[in-house]
Amino acid sequence: MSDYIIKYGRDDRVKYISHLDFVRLFHRAVRRAGLPFIFSQGFNPHPVMTVAQPLSVGVTSDCEYMRVGLDLDCDGDYVKAKINGALPPGYRIIAAKKVKGKEIDLSKLDRAEYITETECNKDIDVDAFLAHKELIVPKKSKSGTKDSDIRPYIYEIENLGFCDGVLTLKMLLSVGNTYNLKPQSVKDAMEKYIDGFFTSFMTVHRSSMRAGEVEFLKKSI
Amino acid sequence: MITLKDKILSSVTKPTRYTGGELNSVIKDPADVYVRFGFCFPDVYEIAMSHLGMKILYHTLNTREDTYCERVFAPWPDMEEQMQKHGMKLFALETGDEVTHFDMLGFTMQYELSYSNIVNMLMLADIPIKASERGEDFPIICGGGSCSYNAEPVADIFDFFTMGEGEEVMHEVVSEYAKWKRSGKKCKRDYLEAIAKIDGVYVPSFYDVKYNEDNTVKSVTPNNPNAREVITKRIMADFDSAYTPHELMVPFGEIVHDRVVLEIMRGCLRGCRFCQAGYIYRPLRERKSDTLLVLADDLLSCSGYDEISLSSLSTSDFGGLKELTDGLLDMTEEKKIGLSLPSLRIDNFSLELMHKVQAVRKSGITFAPEAGTQRLRDVINKNITEEDIMRSTRRLFEGGWTNVKLYFMIGLPTETEEDVKGIADLSQRVLDVYFSIPKEERAKNINITVSTSSFVPKPFTAFQWCPMDSREQLIKKQDLLKSSIKTRRIKYSWHDNKTSYLEGIFARGDRRLCDVIIRAVELGCKFDGWNEYFRFDLWMQAFEELGIDPDFYTARERSIDEVLPWDHIDVGVTKQFLISEYEKSKLAQTTPHCRQKCSNCGAARFKTGVCLEKREAQKNE
Repeated sequence: MSDYIIKYGRDDRVKYISHLDFVRLFHRAVRRAGLPFIFSQGFNPHPVMTVAQPLSVGVTSDCEYMRVGLDLDCDGDYVKAKINGALPPGYRIIAAKKVKGKEIDLSKLDRAEYITETECNKDIDVDAFLAHKELIVPKKSKSGTKDSDIRPYIYEIENLGFCDGVLTLKMLLSVGNTYNLKPQSVKDAMEKYIDGFFTSFMTVHRSSMRAGEVEFLKKSI
Repeated sequence: MITLKDKILSSVTKPTRYTGGELNSVIKDPADVYVRFGFCFPDVYEIAMSHLGMKILYHTLNTREDTYCERVFAPWPDMEEQMQKHGMKLFALETGDEVTHFDMLGFTMQYELSYSNIVNMLMLADIPIKASERGEDFPIICGGGSCSYNAEPVADIFDFFTMGEGEEVMHEVVSEYAKWKRSGKKCKRDYLEAIAKIDGVYVPSFYDVKYNEDNTVKSVTPNNPNAREVITKRIMADFDSAYTPHELMVPFGEIVHDRVVLEIMRGCLRGCRFCQAGYIYRPLRERKSDTLLVLADDLLSCSGYDEISLSSLSTSDFGGLKELTDGLLDMTEEKKIGLSLPSLRIDNFSLELMHKVQAVRKSGITFAPEAGTQRLRDVINKNITEEDIMRSTRRLFEGGWTNVKLYFMIGLPTETEEDVKGIADLSQRVLDVYFSIPKEERAKNINITVSTSSFVPKPFTAFQWCPMDSREQLIKKQDLLKSSIKTRRIKYSWHDNKTSYLEGIFARGDRRLCDVIIRAVELGCKFDGWNEYFRFDLWMQAFEELGIDPDFYTARERSIDEVLPWDHIDVGVTKQFLISEYEKSKLAQTTPHCRQKCSNCGAARFKTGVCLEKREAQKNE
C-alpha cells in the first residue's frame, strides 16, 4: 500500500471535462490500467484520491497534481506508464512519485501561473493596471455575488504581446483556500479599470503551480 | 489559439456532448475510406450513447476498411442556437465534419416522439427533407429501429428503411452503395433498385398508397419491378455468435445507462398482447453463459466501468441464469463491481440473488401487474396472478425491502371503472401484506408508489385495431384512481397524456402525416419527449393547418378487414395470429407462453431460438 503524487496535464481535446467527470474518468483509467485502488472504508466505499486544485471547464494545463492510494509497491515510473496507457487521448501523466506520509503536502499549493489569450480591442499597460491600490470586482459565492478586492491576490502579470486583436498575458494568481482567483476575474477588472478596453473571448492555460515562491515539486518529482 | 469551436462550446451546457474523443471511439482518416456513414440518433447525447443498438452498428460498420461510421446526435437547443448563430451545420462527433455531403445517414427510430428531431437534424444539416427533393449529391437517408416497422408517417423523408435487426443488412446496403459509387453515382434510383432486392430493405418510393374516400388505406402496391410485395424483417438466427462489440465507448459526462450492458437474449416468449417489443423481436434467442462471461470480462476491462447490467425483455426467462449470475458474481466481487439485474420475477432464486447483490438492496423494486383486475390481466395476457404478486411482495417485505413501485397502464381495451378501482384495491392489499407481517420481522417506513402510463395501441400487436382512449377519458380515469386511493402511504404518479396522444397518432399513422411533421418542425417543434420543449399547441396547429384530424388515427376502432398502412411489412408473427389473439382478448382468454406451448404465431419460420427448443429436446431424448 502506497501513496503516489501524480503530476498530469490536459490539452484542448479534453478541456471541457468538468472536475467531477474527470474524477470518474480517472477511476476508470486506473481500473483499465489494472492498478488496485485503495478504497475508503464505510458504507459507500470509493477510491482514495485527492485532486489538489480542481481545474475549471475550458482550461488546459500541464501542472495538475493529485494524491492517490494504490495497493501496490512499485516505483512512480511504473504507475505513470500504466495509467498513461489507459487514459483517453488528451490527458497525460507527466510524473508520478511514491511518497511517504506527509512528505509532500498538496495543500501548500497557493499560487498558479496562467497563460491567457484574450480577444480585445487594444494593447494594455500592465504596470499601470497593477498600480491600482485596489481592484474591485464582483465575486460569486454560495450566498450570492459580493464585491471583492482582488489586487492582493495578483502576484504578477506580464504582457506577452498584442497581435491581430489577441492579447497574450502571463499571470501569477492566488489559488487554494485563502483566495481562489480566476483569470476571468482579472479580465473583468481590466475592463473596469482600463479606459476604453473591451474584451470578448478568453482562453486559459495553467502552466505551473507553486507553493510560495518556488515552483512546486520541480525537483522532487 | 482561439477557435470558433471554443467560442461555441464555452457557451453551451455540457460541452463534452459535442467534442467526441471518447475512449474506444473509432478514429480513422476519412481520406482512407470510400464510404462515410453518419449514424444518427435523433435525441440528445446522453440518450443516444445509452443505446445498445447504436453501439453494435457503429462498431460493426467500422470493422469495414472501406467505411468510416461516425456518430451524429441531435444538438441540445442551446447548442442549436449557437450553431445557427455562427452558421455551423450539423456535424459528426468523430471528425467534427459537416454531414451535408456524407455518403449515407442512417437514423435509428426508437420512439415516435423523435420524428420531429429527425426533420430538425436534416434542416440543421441543410439537407432537403423529402427524398424526392434530394439529388445524388446529397446523402442517402435510411432508417431502422422499432419504429421503422410502421415508418409510414416519415416514409417520404427516407430513401429506404431496414426492417429488423441490422447487424447483417447494414453491411449489405453499404456494400451496394460502394458499388454504386464506383460506377459513378449516376442515378439514385439505380442504387435503390439494387437494394430493394435485399431481404428486409423497404424503399417507400417504390410503393403507391391509395386511399378510400373515408381516408383509410385502400391499397399499397409496388410500382417498381424490383420491389417485393411484402418485406420481411431480418433477424440474427444464430444469436450466440452474432456480432457484438467487445469494446465500449466511455463518455466523459454521465449518460443515462452509464455502465456495461450485457445483452443476454433477444425477443420475449410471454406474448403480452399490448407489447410491440414482445411480438416484433420474436422468436426468443439466448446467448450462452460462457459467451456472455467472456464478453462481460472484455467490456469491463476495456471500459473501466464499475457497474454492469443485464439487458433483455425478461431476465427470469433466461435459461442459464444461475450459471451466468454465479460467474458474474465471482467477477464483480473480485473487482468491486456493481451488478444490476432488471426485469426479474420474484421467486426464491431471484430473492437469494438479490440478497447477494448489494446494489439492488438499496434501490426499490418495481412490479408491473399492468392492470388492476385479473379479468383485465387476462385480456392483455399478462400472465401474473394476484396470488403471485402477494406472494412476491410478502417475500420482499420479509427480506427487508420497503420500497415497492407498482406499474400499471390505464386505457387498456375493455377497461371499466371496476378495473381502474382495482388498481387502488390491489395496491391496498399489497400494503395489507406488509402490515400482516409482525413488526419485528419487517423493516420500517413502507413506501408504495403506484404509477400509471396511458395505453397506446401499437402496430403488430393484438391491439392494433383498438381505439385509444381520448385524453378526457384518460384524465377521468386518473381522477377516479386518485380518489380511490385511501391512504397516504400509497403515492400515485401518472404520465402526461398529451405526449401519449401524439405517440398514438404516429404509431398507427400513414403517409398523410409527413407534411404535418414537417410543418410542426417549421413551427418550432423538437425534442417532443422532453417536457420543457414539448409544444402540444404547435402540433395541434400543424394538424389544423393541414386539415388532418388526429383523432382519425387514435379514436377509431379499425375493422379486421381494413388495410393497415403497415400490412406490407412482415415481422414474422402473422396477422392471422394477431387477429386470433385479439378475439381471445375480448373473451379474456389467455395464451400460454412459448415454452409452455407453441401457439403458431408464425415466428417459427425463422427456425431458431425458442421455436427449436422443444424439437431439440425431443431429439435428445
